[in-house]
Amino acid sequence: MSTEDRDITPALGTRGGPGRWTAAEPGAPVELARPDFGDAEWSYLYKTGDTDYAGATPAPGLVADANRRMRGAPVSEVNGPFLHAPVWSGMVATYFWFGGIASGSAFVSLACDAAGDHRSAQIARKVALGAVAPAPLLLIADLGRPERFLNMTRIFKPRSPMNTGAWCLIAFSGSGALAVGCDLIGRPTAARSLGALTSLFGSYLGSYTGVLLACTAVPLWSGSRTILGPAFVATATATGAAATRLVLVASGLPDGHPTRTALGTIETGSMLTELAISALGERRLGDAAHALARGRPGLYFRAAKSLVALGISLRLVARRTGPREHELASFMYLAAGLLFRFAWVSAGKASAEDDEVVAAMARDRHGPHDGPARPWQKRALSVRRSPLPVPPALQRAYGEAVRHTSLVIERLVRR
Amino acid sequence: MSTSAPATEIAIHRSGSQRMGFFTDTTVCIGCKACEVACKQWNDLPADGSQTGRGVSYDHTGDLSASSWRHVRFVELLEPSPQLREEAQRALDAGAGGKLPAIPAAGAIDLVDAVQAASVADVAEGMHKLGDWVFMSDVCRHCTNAGCLDACPTGALIRTEHQTVVLQPDVCNGCGYCVPACPFGVVGRDEIDGRAGKCTLCYDRLEDGLEPACAKSCPTDSIQFGPHEELVEIASRRVAQLHARGIEGAYLYGAGDGPEEELAGGLGAFFLLTEPPERYGLPAHADSPVQENVVPATVAAVAAGLLATAGTVAAFAVAARRGRTTRGARTW
Repeated sequence: MSTEDRDITPALGTRGGPGRWTAAEPGAPVELARPDFGDAEWSYLYKTGDTDYAGATPAPGLVADANRRMRGAPVSEVNGPFLHAPVWSGMVATYFWFGGIASGSAFVSLACDAAGDHRSAQIARKVALGAVAPAPLLLIADLGRPERFLNMTRIFKPRSPMNTGAWCLIAFSGSGALAVGCDLIGRPTAARSLGALTSLFGSYLGSYTGVLLACTAVPLWSGSRTILGPAFVATATATGAAATRLVLVASGLPDGHPTRTALGTIETGSMLTELAISALGERRLGDAAHALARGRPGLYFRAAKSLVALGISLRLVARRTGPREHELASFMYLAAGLLFRFAWVSAGKASAEDDEVVAAMARDRHGPHDGPARPWQKRALSVRRSPLPVPPALQRAYGEAVRHTSLVIERLVRR
Repeated sequence: MSTSAPATEIAIHRSGSQRMGFFTDTTVCIGCKACEVACKQWNDLPADGSQTGRGVSYDHTGDLSASSWRHVRFVELLEPSPQLREEAQRALDAGAGGKLPAIPAAGAIDLVDAVQAASVADVAEGMHKLGDWVFMSDVCRHCTNAGCLDACPTGALIRTEHQTVVLQPDVCNGCGYCVPACPFGVVGRDEIDGRAGKCTLCYDRLEDGLEPACAKSCPTDSIQFGPHEELVEIASRRVAQLHARGIEGAYLYGAGDGPEEELAGGLGAFFLLTEPPERYGLPAHADSPVQENVVPATVAAVAAGLLATAGTVAAFAVAARRGRTTRGARTW
């Protein structure tokens, strides 16, 4: 759909076009303009004129006290909407999945090289490149103006996770492609070092997506700011290992080969880690975690957990029956990874629309407040309540430091 | 207290410029929506379609969006629930001792009865609540710590010489990150246009020495435009005057706070309210989510990423050793 598709037919008359007048000479004053925005002069409050409160002088601290009292006052009702829900489609969740597989495979290629299985490492590098290939396409397709995707790279902005993520995706794809290229032209040493570099980029590619979600006002996401990155990286490792394992098996890696064993261990281990981290996050979040338990996101989340459980039990059964069940388990982990991504992304929308939770988190953020608490304030909401009492001045200084550091880097790079 | 942006963040420099802002006084807003219309006309924003389906309210705009940069929020409770109505009836039936529950717009007939039945003080309380219909002309806050500006990956959102936050539509690629990064639910992405949109504090008018369209059109001066410092002073006087008149609930949302209680570092466009912020759909506290979260989240994420790499390498090392010693003993 383009801008032209919007119906802008006026109810009466004909649609206006661009003006036919010629531009005023540069610097010439506009009609009605007065110095110092003096066109606001008609206002009866202009320059604290003859209003009946022009003479009122607030006692020192009166305004600050009133603000503090009312912002901490008991809430009789919560009238939304508070936040705008994220506009990202399923393509972003799918991108998270592909990016995760790519970074997981990059880890595997590094580990294969370290263990001396260079043939598997080569294949893992190809899997990483293949998995990262659809990633930029998915991201571009989700943009409101896809043709402007290169604008992401017009600056380097460390404080914006989406900007650093775009750069990381470019770095990962570049070094991954070079590594595969070196493999193809028979330069194994270069390929291995490039593979290691890809894996280093992968450690951010697989985890920054969690940072991306955490740096929003959505209660569920920002409340699990230290949970999201580790959880996403665990899913990335599991799905990356599963994908590599399936490709290796298809390419004829024999049953019982140490690489296959290691990959199986990694898949199961990281999926169990993911479940543990998620459970920890849900406990910390309190009410905000409802978004992950209810509705469609809840369905995704439960389905993902069931698939992981099924995969693990298949692994245990397959110790006796044979290798085919292992492959089936790997497929299940891959599907579970995709469902986890969809669950987290879609739960963010539900969380942003849950006005009670948004309001409660905003109150809870700065500790206890004056006045009697309403029932919904009394609920255990441990969102971002740090175990150490951090003085507000320090928190503020920290926020300032983040921005100033980013600004310094942004300006340095621009020159 | 520093309620201004760091000089390094300001993208456009002009000597003699100062922080400009809005002071929106909700106590004098009459809900005429002239600001909405003026904003749409000046900024050439498309209509949002008629959403009369909202039904219960005369407020058909509903929310700020990419195509609605001013929105007069109707804070209203027109229909008390049947339970509350019953409770009110019981209070009335109980006679002089019964207290009217605090029902906004409980219905004029009940209150006429109440004048005869209950004591005067209780009726006054009930009458006070009857007029519980508040308007608030909502707009982008032009925060000192702006979440949208921090999140924007393309640099489309910039800080101008007036310390306002302006989106450059020719740069925005519609990634949508500023939408959830705004703690006030201001920025939206237009489905058809594809780009984000929000109030520019009429940057184009300011460049030519004109006040913003909404402030210009406001018939009651509920929206006041001016240098931020002057506005804070005017607003503080207004609060003092309202307190002197007995309206103890009057306070400023986004200005005049102590250094540790500022909303997003101080709001360029702030409000005078008379009810707790949640009634207006405003969070009691807010800050740029990026500045709050980016460092702990990144540290946790990168540490986990490196740990996962190390774990993968370790799993291979263990498997390789086992494979050498007891080959085929344990297979996955």
